[in-house]
Amino acid sequence: MATSIGSSSGPPSHLSPSLVLLQSPTCKPISQGAEARVFKTYLSPPLPTAAAGFNAASPPQVSPILLKHRFKKAYRHEILDTALTKARVAGEARALLKCLRSGVNVPSILMVDAQEGMLGLEWIDGHSVRQLLPGGEEEEDDDPVTADSGEDPLTPYCIDADTITQLIGAQLAKLHKADIVHGDLTTSNMMVRRGRAGTEVVLIDFGLSFTSTLVEDKAVDLYVLERAFASTHPDSEPMFAKVLESYGKGLGQKEWGVVNKRLDEVRLRGRKRSMVG
Amino acid sequence: MPGLLQMRCQLTVQDRPHLALGLEGSANKLGVGVIRHELDGSATVLSNVRHTYITPPGEGFQPRDTALHHRHWALNVINDSLRTAGVSVHALDCICYTKGPGMGAPLQSVALVARTISLLYDKPLIGVNHCIGHIEMGREITGAKNPIVLYVSGGNTQVIAYSRQCYRIFGETLDIAVGNCLDRFARVINLSNDPSPGYNIEQEAKRGKRLVTLPYATKGMDVSLSGILTSVEALAYDKRFRQDGKPKGPEDTDIITPADLCFSLQETVFAMLVEITERAMAHVGSKEVLIVGGVGCNERLQEMMGIMAKERNGQVFATDERFCIDNGIMIAQAGLLAFRCGITTPLAKSTCTQRYRTDQVEVLWRS
Amino acid sequence: MDGFLFPHFPAPKSLAQFALFRKVENAAQLRKRIIGAAALAGAKGEEERDAVNFAFIDAKLITSRLHLQTAIHQAILAFTQDSLRTKYVHSEILFYLNPTNNITEALRRYGISDTSTDMIVVRVGDASLPPSNAQELMKDVVIGTIVPFSELEQVTDWGAVKKYHKLNSEAAVRDLKGEEERIAIDRIVTSTVAMKSVMQ
Repeated sequence: MATSIGSSSGPPSHLSPSLVLLQSPTCKPISQGAEARVFKTYLSPPLPTAAAGFNAASPPQVSPILLKHRFKKAYRHEILDTALTKARVAGEARALLKCLRSGVNVPSILMVDAQEGMLGLEWIDGHSVRQLLPGGEEEEDDDPVTADSGEDPLTPYCIDADTITQLIGAQLAKLHKADIVHGDLTTSNMMVRRGRAGTEVVLIDFGLSFTSTLVEDKAVDLYVLERAFASTHPDSEPMFAKVLESYGKGLGQKEWGVVNKRLDEVRLRGRKRSMVG
Repeated sequence: MPGLLQMRCQLTVQDRPHLALGLEGSANKLGVGVIRHELDGSATVLSNVRHTYITPPGEGFQPRDTALHHRHWALNVINDSLRTAGVSVHALDCICYTKGPGMGAPLQSVALVARTISLLYDKPLIGVNHCIGHIEMGREITGAKNPIVLYVSGGNTQVIAYSRQCYRIFGETLDIAVGNCLDRFARVINLSNDPSPGYNIEQEAKRGKRLVTLPYATKGMDVSLSGILTSVEALAYDKRFRQDGKPKGPEDTDIITPADLCFSLQETVFAMLVEITERAMAHVGSKEVLIVGGVGCNERLQEMMGIMAKERNGQVFATDERFCIDNGIMIAQAGLLAFRCGITTPLAKSTCTQRYRTDQVEVLWRS
Repeated sequence: MDGFLFPHFPAPKSLAQFALFRKVENAAQLRKRIIGAAALAGAKGEEERDAVNFAFIDAKLITSRLHLQTAIHQAILAFTQDSLRTKYVHSEILFYLNPTNNITEALRRYGISDTSTDMIVVRVGDASLPPSNAQELMKDVVIGTIVPFSELEQVTDWGAVKKYHKLNSEAAVRDLKGEEERIAIDRIVTSTVAMKSVMQ
């Protein structure tokens, strides 16, 4: 009863808790982009059994979280940097909540510290669609789906490529129905995991997302994904056609007609306009 | 990539040094330069002369007047350039001119001069993409091998990366160019156009202290600048704005000065440019940045880009006003590279175009 | 005793101990005592406030352990950043649980009422000190039975949760039933608590 649970001194008081979290020994870096670093860590480690009392019989499961840290940019004026970081953390969190409320599969939000640019999300245990579809696994991966066996990476998920593309289309339809545009759709920004009700596709990284009712924005969103498919997965046309088929079904005949027509236009002109010197 | 044919650099090995004359006049600068490609592959700038059409404060340059300026000064500037280089027209291998993009009337007046020289002296003509000129001159001067290029000028704002015989545009402005944004604001607060509005904004910004909030509009690797211009213009008519930069009395503390606005505009717009450049660097996995174009000689932009590059263990390359601001030598450089790959522009096709995208040019001189 | 350890918070606020009480008999007196303690002056007041220095949460509106953890975490985070919207970290937990910014409403809805029989009692304290007798202190003021937290699933009033979070017509829960629906609601409710500081 006399021993303490935590460390004797606690973390240094001049550091913000979110930054202390990044320095904890259980915190593992996952990836670094231009804007943010991503970590895997634990918000609340399990209590020592001695302290947990009668509940020790059934210790609650401790699950990891994903921390997305938008670090300070020294090139930006401090006031501008702080305001921008805050706004972006807030924007991403709001988009995720809107997705959750609209039934789009996205990670749930577990902590927000806008002041420090920190967003804590549910850890999605699975693989990216890029890793699971043919051709996507060529680059170095920390966590390859198949170590060296010639086994189909999809086997553990009891799912085939057709079903994945169909699930993607259904998620995108829900997303666009809620007037959310992802802004950076790639096969790396979609995860496949085994959920309670079978295998599901989860959309991730809403850092560039925004709200829009415009057909143009939704069509460009799809076009960006089409390009990503083409550059990552060989012979992607039939796969992407499946995505669109399922997307159309989810969106409804009338809406899909409009978006499809605009998608054709976007394909013709590309994402860019011509320009004046 | 398997299955794809790796294109080779088609630059021929020289049996002698080559000489090119470059004529540039896509905007308010008339530039003429002579370049020599040496046998060892290096390039020597023999001359780089420029004459700028400067308008009174509060006024921009109109196509018609700019064309007039170019016509009036063309022969003087060309003679000056050849004299400085110590080269006669007969010794040149080719005449290079700006095909576009740019303002129609000034482009045409300079192209006309180029055609005339070409016919008079029987020299091959090469139409050059202005943006490619900036990139190739920047690479030549700084020695950057395969950089992400930020091209920022009065007419263009692009983030560019080279890939397979093409300078691909990764990001660009969705509305007005950054130089245009700065120049137009300089007119609002009545800054001088001499030597350039952008230079005077930069000097004014150094005295700015207060950062006012302006919209920050990046969209993926693109930026939007017209909203910022509208906002900063509105602040110049705000009741807190003091044109003379001085408070009305000791009580008058909540004020905004022209210097504050220049400072805020630069900090906001440049942060956006650095951000999209960094995104492109992360996307391509490049560690080099090259800044070209007239706005590229802004030292604050170079400084901010330098901090970003350093954080990524990279390096920033920039040139000074001689090569950043529109000039003839860059047209000569890009033109001569094309010429040595066997490209020339027949007289019948020696037109100009106001629209000419950077990614429309086939870059045969790189592998 | 059950608790959440947050090693990244300063030691005095790095441990949250909590217990789920059922068959509570003295909710009305307890409420009176909390209100009275706030008004009491002098050493007596000090003592009385210390005795009821807990967050008393209506367990009906808590959907999961993670839901509770998230509210406590965000409340302590607000405390460390000097951005409490209410007076104490314990009342801040109630504020974070409520989806709107109305403090009175938060305390009324998520705090206990005179008729509450199921409540979650929380104390935020120092993990570096020997574990205090928080459980005994809780038992001193609450007359009821401490049960394993897993019994929460018999307590949660999903209808009330849906109502307060305006979820009845949302696409996410409209077509779901039973366990599936409860999981979806829990995820939304937990996320709402986590992002409250940046809510529009």
